[in-house]
Order: sequence, then structure tokens, then C-alpha cells
Amino acid sequence: MSKIHVAGLTKSFGSNEVLKGLDVDVAEGEVVCVIGPSGSGKSTFLRCLNKLEDITGGKVVVDGFDLTDPKVDLDKVRQHIGMVFQHFNLFPHMSVLENIMLAPVELKKLSRPQARNKALELLERVGLASKADARPAQLSGGQKQRVAIARALAMSPDIMLFDEATSALDPEMVGEVLQVIRDLAAEGMTMVVVTHEMGFAREVSDRVIFMADGLIVEEGSPESVFGAPRQPRTRDFLAKVL
Amino acid sequence: MNPQELFPLHILQRAGRRLLALTGLLAVLALVFGPPASAAVQAPHSATGKTYVIGTDTTFAPFEFRQGGELVGIDMDLLRAIAEKQGFKVEIQSLGFDAALQALQSDQVDGVIAGMSITDERRQVFDFSEPYFDSGVQMAVAETNTDISSYEDLKGKTVAVKRGSEGEAFAKSIAGKYGFTVKPLDQSATMYDDVKAGNSVAVFDDYPVLAYGIAQNNGLKAVTEKERGSSYGFAVNKGNNPELVQAFNTGLAELKASGEYQQILDKYLAAPESAGKSTFWELLTQSLPALLKGLVLTLFATGLSIVIALILGVGFGFLKVSRRVWLRGIATAYVAIFRGTPLLVQAFFFYFGLPQLTGRPMDVLTAGVLTLSLNAGAYMTEIVRGGVQSVDPGQMEASRSLGLGYFKSMQKVVIPQAVKIMTPSFINQFVITLKDSSLLAVIGFAELTYQGQQIYASNFRTGETLLIVAALYFVVITVLIKLSNILDKRFNK
Repeated sequence: MSKIHVAGLTKSFGSNEVLKGLDVDVAEGEVVCVIGPSGSGKSTFLRCLNKLEDITGGKVVVDGFDLTDPKVDLDKVRQHIGMVFQHFNLFPHMSVLENIMLAPVELKKLSRPQARNKALELLERVGLASKADARPAQLSGGQKQRVAIARALAMSPDIMLFDEATSALDPEMVGEVLQVIRDLAAEGMTMVVVTHEMGFAREVSDRVIFMADGLIVEEGSPESVFGAPRQPRTRDFLAKVL
Repeated sequence: MNPQELFPLHILQRAGRRLLALTGLLAVLALVFGPPASAAVQAPHSATGKTYVIGTDTTFAPFEFRQGGELVGIDMDLLRAIAEKQGFKVEIQSLGFDAALQALQSDQVDGVIAGMSITDERRQVFDFSEPYFDSGVQMAVAETNTDISSYEDLKGKTVAVKRGSEGEAFAKSIAGKYGFTVKPLDQSATMYDDVKAGNSVAVFDDYPVLAYGIAQNNGLKAVTEKERGSSYGFAVNKGNNPELVQAFNTGLAELKASGEYQQILDKYLAAPESAGKSTFWELLTQSLPALLKGLVLTLFATGLSIVIALILGVGFGFLKVSRRVWLRGIATAYVAIFRGTPLLVQAFFFYFGLPQLTGRPMDVLTAGVLTLSLNAGAYMTEIVRGGVQSVDPGQMEASRSLGLGYFKSMQKVVIPQAVKIMTPSFINQFVITLKDSSLLAVIGFAELTYQGQQIYASNFRTGETLLIVAALYFVVITVLIKLSNILDKRFNK
């Protein structure tokens, strides 16, 4: 059974339909990169996967939970889905450590000392152990995003969603963040990555989805999408960005 | 700054000897709902042993005014002497003339004695005692004025009168004949200041009031004999407390027979103790105890109101950012009502209007705090809404994406950031509410401004007294702002 199952997903903001019927399945351990021009609905699609956006029509099943079913406890489902945002969204009134400890402690998944150890371990993993007591404002963009990834990992999710995680970064900081994502992929984490980093998408993904105008135009292995795109829209887009 | 700060409160302060209809709204409400059931005629029984709440003017020297914090004057001495003779107790509430009449109509008080002329108009709503004082109008000019000594000298000039008073009626009746202009003002002190400033050349006022003011060095001198005028009476609400009127009449007759009545009058009129012009320092030391008492009440009412307003503001503020339309509707309606009406009207409504609707009296502190807290609560609601909404929505999303629920996310992520944003506005609202509390003087709430009005209405030193009052507000507010900023810096790093 697939880890994420999306069927006929539509999403409208008022009369503006931004997703026009998407069908996607993501297998356990699979890394899927979503590319496409801005305004194509990539981010909206991603945000539907943990229901940060209300779903207008169709079905989204994550870990066997149907997100469109009003009886499903969304907070429970979300604990298994880590999400990383373009603008980091770190909590500015908390230290780095507190940012990471918040969810495990508040949701009583871990005791405070356990959560603290886990947080330190995660910081070690993203290379920021020395910044545990810093405030987000004292970090660089790349460091902030690595903390955000550590925070998303604190609940030990089995799915990670990346929403243009490197778009707001200065070029010299993109690499350090991509490295962390690369490591996660190597560990077998199921991931959906919305990105503008074509080289990274080609390197890290098992499958690439190209979206335009709220539809999936083309999908396949990175070699086929990047190497031999079949659709004119895809070719057009890749010609512009590569 | 709140728009209601711009309302000049003195306009609604005691407007002289007349019945001022509060607002059309209240009048209509009173008509629709009628007087409370207790207004039914009761069998007369003895007043002995009972305690009556009696409303009076704030300051209408020499009938009622404060001396060393105590209410004294002809009305007060007469009433106390009668009560003692007749064996009942009185609790005096110094409300202001219009407020006292409103309070009487809404059964907030049992009787009113306030140098009130007995008129046919008033007889329709009140029952009066026998007249206890015969008044009359007299003309006065500035001490230094030697040009005007009779009505004939007024040709082409302007004279000041108290709006709605007998003085006004008399002045108007002869204005055509002598060719002068009548300028109605609201308070005795204001009229005297107007004459001294040279805006008017003379003033027509009740002779006892004038005599007392002159004895207090108000800078005027009387130049004509008094005209025959109306009589003052003690009033109860129509059909209510007949035994109280009975007791007043009996007691008055006894006082007249024993000569005590004349003694009381002489004490204030025949030989008023002439007060030498005191220095500013003496004024300060004399008025400070009463002003500090008012300041304590100002701070108490403001403090209590701001705490309630904070609770209301947080409650309604969160309704306002709720996802449910009807919850937002409740909060929007609340804010619209209390932000969309003047604080002054709200104060009148809670103190006079609501008791008439419910038949349940409300004391002035409750009404005052209710007004301030509901009003400030509406502004707090908007502060809270603004604060919560100014937190980046990404913060809520990040928290929700971790699996934290809506309320947990609010509590741990949004509110701590919102509070930091809101703190300066909170401090600002606190200061505004403190200043707004001065408006409660109009319902007789004895806070700082009210105490100041009391003082200058009897010593006629308006400017200096208001300077002291303003200085007290300024010092307290400055200290509070400094304190708040220190706390803000400490907790919102």
C-alpha cells in the first residue's frame, strides 16, 4: 500500500481553481520532487498533504488516514508528517532547543530530558549542536532552515514535506540545507520535495513530477523527465530553468 | 486617542435650576417601560427610625458645598436638623443637580434637596414639601467696575446668566426694555469668570449664591436689590415616601418656631465668614486631601476597569479571530456598540437608564466601573485582534504542522508573540481609560476631576484648582507609563 495516496484532488480559492484533479501515489521510502513554474499549484498540492489547506474535492490518504474524513484526528496524523517551509517559520520567542522540544514535550511523546537529548542529537545531525541556546534571530538563513528540519524531525515523522526549502536562502547557504535533505533521503525517509533546484531534484529523487496550471503534466524518473521530456510544456520549462 | 475624550464634560455638569432631559433615548425608554412597580402609592407611615438616601447638588454654595471634605450649607444643615428632630437618618449623595433629579426619577434616591425651585413643571413629576427658602435674583458686576450700578447702565452690553435659571428668565424679561444681550452659561463659577474676564459686564444670579460668592472673594460686587423670586422645596418622587415629606414639613415648622431655622440662614447669609484671599500654597494644602481622595478613587476605578477590560478584550478578541462567523458576529457587535457610542452616554445609560429598565438601582461605583470596563474592553478587543492577527500566519501553520492543536498553538506560539506586540497598546489604553474616568464626574462619581470641580465651585479659583488637578493626572500618568515601560522591557525582551 502506498504511503500517500492522492486521487482526483481539486482545490479552489473562491472561484479560482488552483488544483484541477491530481492523482499521485508515493511509496514508502520514495523521494518525489515536484517541479514547475510558479503559480502551477506545487505548494498548494504539498499543503493539501497535511491539510494545511482545506481540500475542495477528491481524496488524500496518508498512512491509511483519509484526510477528507472529518472524523480523522488531523493533529494525530500531522505528528507523522514533518513539514519544512520556505520561510522557516521558527518560533522567534524560543531558543533553538525549545523550538525543537516544543512538539514532543507538549504532545507528551517524550519527557523533557528525553526531548532535550533528542533535540541535541538532531542538532548534531544538522551540524548545529553549538547553537542549541541561540535565538532564531541570531542564526543565518541556512542555519535557520536546518533547525526547522530538526524541529520537523523531532516527532520522528515517517513522511517529510519540503516546501521550497531553499528558495529564501542566499546561494552560498543552499548547499548546507540540501545536504541535510540528501542525508534524509539516503536514510530512506519518504519525502515530497517542492523545489526549484533542478540539479538537486535530478540527483536525489526517485521520481519527478512536473506541474503546470494545477495539473500534472508529466512524471517519471529523473532521467526521463530531465533527459527526455515528452511534453512540450516540460521541455519549455526546463529550457528556461536549466 | 479615544474620540470620547473630546467631549467637554462641563456642558453636562449641573446646568442650573432645571430639569435637563438626558437623551431622547432614555426619555423614550422611560416612557415605554414606565416607572418601577415600587412607585405605587403606599400608605403613609412614620419616617422614624428609617434611613433615607437623599440626592443633592455637587456644589451650590451656600446651599450645599464642601468644607474640609464635609458637605455643609443651608440645605445640609436644615436636612440634618430636621432628620434629628424627626428621628430618621439620611445618607447624602452629592450627585450634581441634573443627576440628582434623574436619580430621584429612577428611584436611585428617596429624596432631593438641592436649592430646587418649586415649579409647576416639576410638580408633575415630584411631590414637594412646604417651601423652605424664598430666593430672588440680584445683579452683580466686577469689583472694579464703577460704570454700572443699575439696569439702565446695561444698554448695549452683555450680561451672563445661568442657563435655565430664574436669573435667565428675569434677565430676558427686562432685556428688551433696557437693551442688553443675555449670554447663558452653565455654572456660577463660569459666569463669574466671564464677568471678570470682561466678556460680560454683569451677572444675574440667585441672591444667596451671589452673596456667598462675594464673601468668598469671587471678585464681584452686588449693585441692585434682589427681585422677588421663587421658593425652594424638598422633593420626593411622585407618590413615593409621603411620610418623608410629612416629616420634613413637621420638622421645618419646628425649626422655624424654635428660631433654629433663622440661625442656620444667618450662618450662611447674614454674616458669611469672610475668607481672606489665600495664597496658592494655602489653596494647594487645603485642597490636596480631597484631591488625593479623588485620585485614589480614580486609580481604583481605573485599575479595576482595566482588569475587567483585559478579560473582556481577550475573550472577545479571540472570538473576533475565530473561524466561526457567528462568534465573530458577537464580538463585532460588542465592539461596534461600545466604540460607536460616546462614553458619556454609556455612563448615563448605566447609571440612570438601566435602573429605570430593570427597577434595580445601581450604585455609582458599579455603574462607573461597568462603563469604563465595557468601553475599554471594546478597544482591548481590537488590540487583541490586531495583536493576534499581526503574528505571521506561518507561525500557526508551523505549529499545526507539528501536530499541536489550535488552542495549544495559540497558547504556546501565537499568544506569547502577540502579547509582545500588544503591550504598548495596552499601556496606551490604560492611560486613556485613566483619563476617561474623569468623565464619570457627570454621574457624581467622586474621582479626581469631580473633587476639583467641587473645590473651585465653592472657592471660585477655577484656574489654579484645575492646574493642580491637571498636575496630579500628569504626574500619575507619567509615573505609570515609566513603570509600564520598565515592566515591558523586562518581560518582553
